[in-house]
Amino acid sequence: MKPHPLIEQLDKQAREKEGVFFAHIANRLGRDRITEKPVQPVRGVPDFWREYNLGEQERIELFMRNWESLGGTAKRFATKEEIAAFIDELAHGMSAKQIIRAKHGLLEEMKVDEKLSDLDMTIWEKDSPADLLAKAAGADIGITVVDFAVAHTGSVVVTSSPEKGRSLSLLPTIFIAIVPAGVIKTKMGEVMREVTKWNQNGMPAGIHFISGPSRSADIENDLTIGVHGPGIVYALVLDEK
Amino acid sequence: MSGFNPTSTLEERARVALNDEFLRNAVKYTTEKLRTNKKSATDELGNWEDWRDRGRMIRLHTIAHLDYYLSLFVENVRKAGGYVHFAKDTKEAVDITMKIMEAKKAKSVVKSKSMVSEEVHINHALEENDIEVVETDLGEYIIQLAGETPSHIIIPAIHKNKQQVADLFSAEAGETLPPVTKTLAGFARSKLREKFLEADIGMTGCNFAIAESGSMVLFSNEGNARMVSTVPKTQITFMGMERIIPSFEDLEVMASLLPRAATGQKLTVYMSAINGPKRSEDSDGPEEMHIIILDNGRSQQLGDPEFQEVLNCIRCGACLNACPVYRHVGGHTYGWVYSGPIGAVLTPVLNLDNREQWGEVANASTLCGACHEACPVKIPLHDMLVYIRRRNVEEGIVKKAEQLGMKGFQIVASNHRLFRSVLRFGKVAQLPLVKNGMISSKLGPLKAWNSFRHAPALAPQSFRDSWSELDQELKQTKNELPADIKQRMEEIVAKRGKQR
Repeated sequence: MKPHPLIEQLDKQAREKEGVFFAHIANRLGRDRITEKPVQPVRGVPDFWREYNLGEQERIELFMRNWESLGGTAKRFATKEEIAAFIDELAHGMSAKQIIRAKHGLLEEMKVDEKLSDLDMTIWEKDSPADLLAKAAGADIGITVVDFAVAHTGSVVVTSSPEKGRSLSLLPTIFIAIVPAGVIKTKMGEVMREVTKWNQNGMPAGIHFISGPSRSADIENDLTIGVHGPGIVYALVLDEK
Repeated sequence: MSGFNPTSTLEERARVALNDEFLRNAVKYTTEKLRTNKKSATDELGNWEDWRDRGRMIRLHTIAHLDYYLSLFVENVRKAGGYVHFAKDTKEAVDITMKIMEAKKAKSVVKSKSMVSEEVHINHALEENDIEVVETDLGEYIIQLAGETPSHIIIPAIHKNKQQVADLFSAEAGETLPPVTKTLAGFARSKLREKFLEADIGMTGCNFAIAESGSMVLFSNEGNARMVSTVPKTQITFMGMERIIPSFEDLEVMASLLPRAATGQKLTVYMSAINGPKRSEDSDGPEEMHIIILDNGRSQQLGDPEFQEVLNCIRCGACLNACPVYRHVGGHTYGWVYSGPIGAVLTPVLNLDNREQWGEVANASTLCGACHEACPVKIPLHDMLVYIRRRNVEEGIVKKAEQLGMKGFQIVASNHRLFRSVLRFGKVAQLPLVKNGMISSKLGPLKAWNSFRHAPALAPQSFRDSWSELDQELKQTKNELPADIKQRMEEIVAKRGKQR
C-alpha cells in the first residue's frame, strides 16, 4: 500500500534531516561521526550469570513456582490428552462461551476443538474470515502454544505470526499458555540469544514476555489483578514431545 | 491544579505539599514499600553491584557512541517497515505528530505512559485540534481526569486517595462508584476497553530501543502498552534520543535492572519488543508505525563531563523513592515533568533556555547521595546537583539575600582575626535566643533558615580552639576511609586536577 502523501513528505524530511541530527550528536561528543561498529567493552550479562544453568527438572519446577508466585496457575501434564481434558473441564466448569486459539499443530493433536465442540471456537489463522480482534476481545479464553518460557522470571514468551496473533494472550478474560517442557530456559538471555539469531526478515513483529496476570497498584498502592490484560492465566506444562 | 509551567516558586510549591497531610502520608507509605520491594528483589538476584556496574558500562558506552547506535537503530526500523522522525524540540515533535494525525484523519488517540510525551505536552496539542486523547495507564487515566500531571515516574497518581479516584470515576461514569479498588479498576477496564477498540492511533513511550534489531521495548504491568501497540491501526512512539542500547543481549541486563529498581519485580508482567509494523499476513498489530526521536535539550549534555551521565538514566524512579526531599513533598513540587533527584537534575539541564525559572529546582535536595546509592546505573546525581547549584551562583540565579550573606561570610571567613571575634561576639549575643542548644527564633536573617528547622547554637568552644586536643586524638587512632569512598574521592581530585 502506498503511503499517504503527507507521510511520504514527512519521511523525506526525516531523511534530509537525519544527517544534521547525527552530526550534531557527534559534534557535541567532540569528534567526527562514527560509522564503523565500535568495540563494546562489555556486552550483555556478567559472566557468572551466563554460567547459571539449571537442569531440565529444576527449570520446569522453578518456572512453575515463579508463575504461581506471580498469581498465575501452573500445572504439569504427562500427555496431550490430559491437557485437553483439563481445558475441557475448565471451560465447561466456568461456562465459557467463546474460545479463541492459535493455529498450531500441538493444539490440533490435542483435539481441543473436539472437546469444546459445543462452544463458539475461533481459530487464529491467516485469511480468516472472522474479525479476529473483535472475536479475541469477546472471548472468555485464549489458548496459545508459547515459543519459550523462562524459569528464573516465571515468564512465557510468545511471538506474533499469522497463526498466532498478539491479541490471543491479551484480550480474552483467561489466557491459557501451553508450555512444551523443552522450551523452558533457565534465564532470559537464552531467549535473547535465539531472538538475535533471527535476521531482520525473519524477526516477528512482536515478541512478548508475559509474567503472570495483568496487574496494577496505581490506586492507593492496592494490588488489582486483571487491568486491561487477562486477570486469570494458566501455564500448562507438557512433558510429552 | 498543577501544570507544567507553574507561576509559583519552588518554595511555594513545597509549602503546599507540606500542608497536604494525605499526600505526605501516601508518598511516604508507597515509596517505603517500593524501597523494601527493591531491596528484597536485588538481594534475591544477588551480586547487585556487579549488575549495576554492567548497566552503567553499557549505558556509558552507548551514549559515548550515540550517533553510531542511533543511526543503526534508524536504519533497522526502516528495514522493518517503520518510519522514523527527528524532532530537535517539542514544537517539531508536535508538528510531526499533527501531520500524521492529518494523514490518518485521526479523531481519537489511546496512549500508554510516556514521559517524553509529557515533555511535548502532546495531549494539550491534540485536544486543541479536537482529537480525543485518552491515557490508558490506570494512574495516568486518574490524573488526566483530574487535569493534573504525574507526581511519580512509576506511580503517577501516588498523591490521590481512593475516595478522590472514586469521585473522578463517578463523574465519568455518570453514577456513584464506591471507593473500592476492584470496582474502580473494573470501571477503568471496561471504559478503556471501548476506547482501545475504537481509537485511530495508539501512542506509546519507549523504555529501550535496540540498535541492532530496530526494536522498541516496552515494559508494563497492566497491559495497556500492549493494547496500544496491538489494536489501533497506527502506532506513534515517542522516544528520547538517548533510549538506545546496542543489542538484545544488553536488554537482558536492563530488564534485570529496571523492574527490580522500579517496583522490586523480577520482570514487569509484560515486556514487549516491537519490531516495526505488523507483517503483511499478521491479523493484528499496527499497519503503520512511526517513531519520533526527540532531542529537546538532551544533546546539550553530550560532551559535558559533568552531565553526560544523566543520559544514562533508565527512568526507574528508584532515586525518587530514596530521596528524603521527594518523600516529603511528592512530585508536583518540582514543577516540571520529572520529579525527585533525577527531576532536580533534568529540569534545569533540559531547560537551559529557561534557567531563571528552573535553576532553583536543583535546591530541592539535601545532597545526601541516597539517589546515587539507589540508582541502578550509578548516576552521580548528587554531584550533578552541586554542579547546577554552582552554575546558578556563577550566573547569578540565586536570591539577593543569599548573595549578600555569602559576600558577608567571605569577608569574615577570609580574615581569621575577624572570624574569631565574630564568633566570640556571637556566643554572647545568641544567649537570649538559645533553648536546649538550638535557636528557633525567626527574627531578621534567621527567618529563612528557621522557618523549616532550628539552627544549632554556636558551640561553647570553637573547632579551632579544640584543635590541639582533637589532633592528639587523631594521632592515636587512624581510621582508613572505606575503600570505595576513598577511591571515589581520589577520582574526583584527579578529575579536578585535569580540568584546572
